[in-house]
Amino acid sequence: MSEDAFVRLADITKTFPGVVANDEISMSIRKGEIHGLLGENGAGKSTLMKILYGLYSSDGGDVWIDGERAAIESPQDAIDAGIGMVHQHFKLIPRLSVAKNVVLGMREPASAFRADGDDDGFVSSLTTNRLVQGLAARFTLGLDVPEARIQSLADDYGFDIDVTAPVWQLDVGERQRVEILKALYRDVDLLILDEPTAVLTPTEAERLFETLRKLSDQGLSIIIITHKLKEVKSITDRVTVLRDGSRIDTVETADVSRADLARMMVGRDVLFQIDKDEVTAGEPVLKALDLRTDDDRGIEALSGVDLTVHAGEIVGIAGVSGNGQIELAESLVGIRPVTDGTIRIDGGDLTGAPPRAFIEHGVSFVPEDRHKHGCAESLSVMHNAILKGYTDEAFGDGLRLDYDASADYAETLVENFDVRGVSDVAKMQAGELSGGNLQKLILAREMDRDPKLLVANQPTRGVDVGAIEYIREGLIEQRDQGTGILLLSENLDEIFDLSDRILVMYEGEFVYEVTPEAADRRRIGLEMNGGEAGGAEPQVAVDGGRSES
Amino acid sequence: MQVDVDLEARTEVPRWMAYGTPVFTVLAALSVSAVALAALDVDPIAAYEIMFVQTLTTEFGLTETIAKGVPLIFTGLAVYLPLKAQLWNIGAEGQLFIGAVAGTWIGLNVSLPIFALLPLMFVGAGVAGALWVAIPAWLRAKWGINEIITTLLFTFVAADLKNYVVRGPMQAPGANFPQTAQLPAAGQLPVIPGIGFPSGIVIAVVFVALTYLLVNHTRLGYEITFIGANDRAAEQAGMSTYRIYLFVLMVGGAFAGFAGISEISGVQTRLRAFFAPGYGFTAIPIALLGRNGAFRVLLAALFFAVIFVGGSSLQTLLSVPAAIVDIIQALIILFLITAEFFKRYRVSLSLERDPGAEPRGKRPEGEI
Repeated sequence: MSEDAFVRLADITKTFPGVVANDEISMSIRKGEIHGLLGENGAGKSTLMKILYGLYSSDGGDVWIDGERAAIESPQDAIDAGIGMVHQHFKLIPRLSVAKNVVLGMREPASAFRADGDDDGFVSSLTTNRLVQGLAARFTLGLDVPEARIQSLADDYGFDIDVTAPVWQLDVGERQRVEILKALYRDVDLLILDEPTAVLTPTEAERLFETLRKLSDQGLSIIIITHKLKEVKSITDRVTVLRDGSRIDTVETADVSRADLARMMVGRDVLFQIDKDEVTAGEPVLKALDLRTDDDRGIEALSGVDLTVHAGEIVGIAGVSGNGQIELAESLVGIRPVTDGTIRIDGGDLTGAPPRAFIEHGVSFVPEDRHKHGCAESLSVMHNAILKGYTDEAFGDGLRLDYDASADYAETLVENFDVRGVSDVAKMQAGELSGGNLQKLILAREMDRDPKLLVANQPTRGVDVGAIEYIREGLIEQRDQGTGILLLSENLDEIFDLSDRILVMYEGEFVYEVTPEAADRRRIGLEMNGGEAGGAEPQVAVDGGRSES
Repeated sequence: MQVDVDLEARTEVPRWMAYGTPVFTVLAALSVSAVALAALDVDPIAAYEIMFVQTLTTEFGLTETIAKGVPLIFTGLAVYLPLKAQLWNIGAEGQLFIGAVAGTWIGLNVSLPIFALLPLMFVGAGVAGALWVAIPAWLRAKWGINEIITTLLFTFVAADLKNYVVRGPMQAPGANFPQTAQLPAAGQLPVIPGIGFPSGIVIAVVFVALTYLLVNHTRLGYEITFIGANDRAAEQAGMSTYRIYLFVLMVGGAFAGFAGISEISGVQTRLRAFFAPGYGFTAIPIALLGRNGAFRVLLAALFFAVIFVGGSSLQTLLSVPAAIVDIIQALIILFLITAEFFKRYRVSLSLERDPGAEPRGKRPEGEI
């Protein structure tokens, strides 16, 4: 790693209406280093990187690359300057093969039209004709050479990937590797990764980190946008912390502790452990018996599940994703039809009832994918705030919907639940909120109704430390007020910290039940993976002890 | 020569652009059309003076514009409301035919005083239009079958049905033409006393206002908007896409039916086999331009009425061929819709000469 800056950002400023997203931020990236960009959601990390990658134009400040001022006005400029970015939401075309996705935008003409200079017959004179060449460059696609190159790139970095496979067949980790290949294929010197582990399992994340270390050893500079302290500590060489659009500091990772980083990031000390009082569980609010349901492909995802949640308790469901958690959550709020079994909410039989009936019986839901099921990104914060309550009398009588009252209500939610970055609830689109703030808004909406049962699926996924703390405290508080909470989480720490009872889900069934006090993490990790001892997975799944991420 | 075109989504639309674009684009379309006019030895300035200034300043022009505007407003709403829920009612033309047939039948066969007959004709036309779209609507709501295709195909069926009734059951007794008898005076929309505008405009404006209230001030409108923005989140919150899809398409069908009967009762006075005004199709660009609000639909519909009326004045007064008039109208529409695109994307165009010294077969830098 050399000491001199390879890319330097100087006094970058960017304002959005009502918000200063970046306030004269300067930072430098050295050749071959892994540089963490740490901050809460909404701190300005993504904005800064989008400026560097040419997606946003800055209001002030310069970018210097190799000592020269670079004018980056588009992603194409950035790629030309050797900067690549892997977005949080992948930009891949599922139907196309890996190779086609990689060459997208820089394809080669078919091999017949490539000049190789060794024969000069009629055919060759035809194929090297400028017009034919021009047409070939535009309308033909040669994949042999790129495929070989992509395969060798993949092999170099130990990506086990078939370049001819269509992308839809790949899992999330593999798709991310395709995104990285896309950047490497374009010969970038600096790779920006926007929250790369948000979508990965712990094992996949570890694999990604190995890859990144290999890349940085070969001289590639890497910026990782993240809000996970554990990751920063384990992978980065240096870290720059942003808070509220300003740079707090840039430090050598080895010199700081996690607590230091958390303090820099949030601006106060962060509690990694949540205190909760004992509460005696009340009447059952949810009684599900022998529940069966199918997943989207019509394959049975829940195979006869019995579940009871009492008022005032948090039941945590641990499990590796894809073992029926989504289907369980969705069937308990009425949006997925059950194929067998019964659901009783607060004593009333709601089997087969429409979602509205569940809502009216006091069921609230925090869906796993907040963008897909939790909100309408193109509508205002106000529209989203009243999604569950718009039928209430408070928002107008008869047919009329009182948008003034709605806006007031939205403002109260925003204020009470500390949703940041909202200037005008009626104008600001929900999609413009950062992940953590959007999640707070959804949680606010669901909890403000004082539900009998709250089904929360991955409530803190992709959310920063400050918001996680807030959300977890909110859940405990809601429990203390007598709500029965079903918490589904892939994060064992979260399950342990919050639950009064833990159930482990594996292949559509509950395989193990325990209280957190009596629980052994190793045992739970094993149960999550079907009880097979000796695999590598359980270790990763229970890794880390008490942590924030 | 190499031409590079880069497209980039704009992150923010400059304010001058939001307001200036419609004006600039119409001017640009007119200057392009001016070439065609000049080629025919028609003075473009004089032509545009007839097309716009005279249309908007003479009593004849204004009356005609309003008359054309009424069905365009109704069909515009017929496409606009479903579009709010992200459904495309491409078949407003067919619903218009059916509304015209049903309304005309009532007008010819029921004898009532004008204040009872006219409302009855409108209600009949609206119900018929709504029922006509009910099948595509149900297919969409229940089974997710693409409403673009079904509503469009239903238009062809409606056209044939209309052709049949004016040659068969509804043909004027003893007449040889494929048309119905003339509506009785009680079945014809009167003009507004004093100003002489067709009274259909009053009904149209009332429905624009009602649509505005529905979309912007009711719970139903909130459900429509939310389902249009994210149907899955809406269902999670207990909204019924089934109910809303049926509702918006059937109300849309009713609006198209109103368009049909307002045209027959207010302008044509009888239903002819050749009645195929195309209002249902023109409604699609109208709803696109006006998708941000019912009152914008009203403005867009009146704008289209102006270019239609101005275009036919051009034809009669300056003997400009109908084809040229069509071209001018099409250019304006094309430019307006393209402008929407440019408002959202930034395009950079670069031309570079192919360097001759470059070895053959090697592509110059920058070309992708």
